[in-house]
Amino acid sequence: NPIVLDLAYNCITFPDIENRM
Amino acid sequence: AIEDLFASLHRNIDKSDYEKAVKDADQVLSIAPNDEDAIRCKVVALIKDDKIDDALSVIQSSRNLPIDLGFQKAYCLYRQNKLEEASACLRGRERDPETLLLEAQILYRQGNAAACADVYQKLQKSGIETAEVNLVASLVSAGKSSQ
Ligand SMILES: [K+]
Repeated sequence: NPIVLDLAYNCITFPDIENRM
Repeated sequence: AIEDLFASLHRNIDKSDYEKAVKDADQVLSIAPNDEDAIRCKVVALIKDDKIDDALSVIQSSRNLPIDLGFQKAYCLYRQNKLEEASACLRGRERDPETLLLEAQILYRQGNAAACADVYQKLQKSGIETAEVNLVASLVSAGKSSQ
């Protein structure tokens, strides 16, 4: 089976915390 | 102060030092146990650090809070190859690009390459950036299984 890129991984992103600093 | 902890958290995320980022998030949570940003940062940092079991534990212990970690949970289950559970976790969610991308990957691993290809084609039609290589892989795989 061809390897398929884990594109969902790129959707796991940090929240914007600039306003908490 | 909590602002300093978030500043440190931000720096460590920037440096991809996820172990330290988790420690910063934990310090925030020791002051403010239900802080959504800290919980989200901790879950994401654990996933980026390949600590999928730990990420799931945090998600599980946050289940009674009004924080939607359903996508992250489904992704962790997918990484653990618990494909049925991952799929169930996505059911009922908004069909946004991230949900569709993960659904396609689950279908692919389940050997349902044709359904996977359908999802990628749907994403491409709606102008969502996806990887040609994934679509091609699913089409090739679907072609093989139909022979
Ligand atoms: K994929």
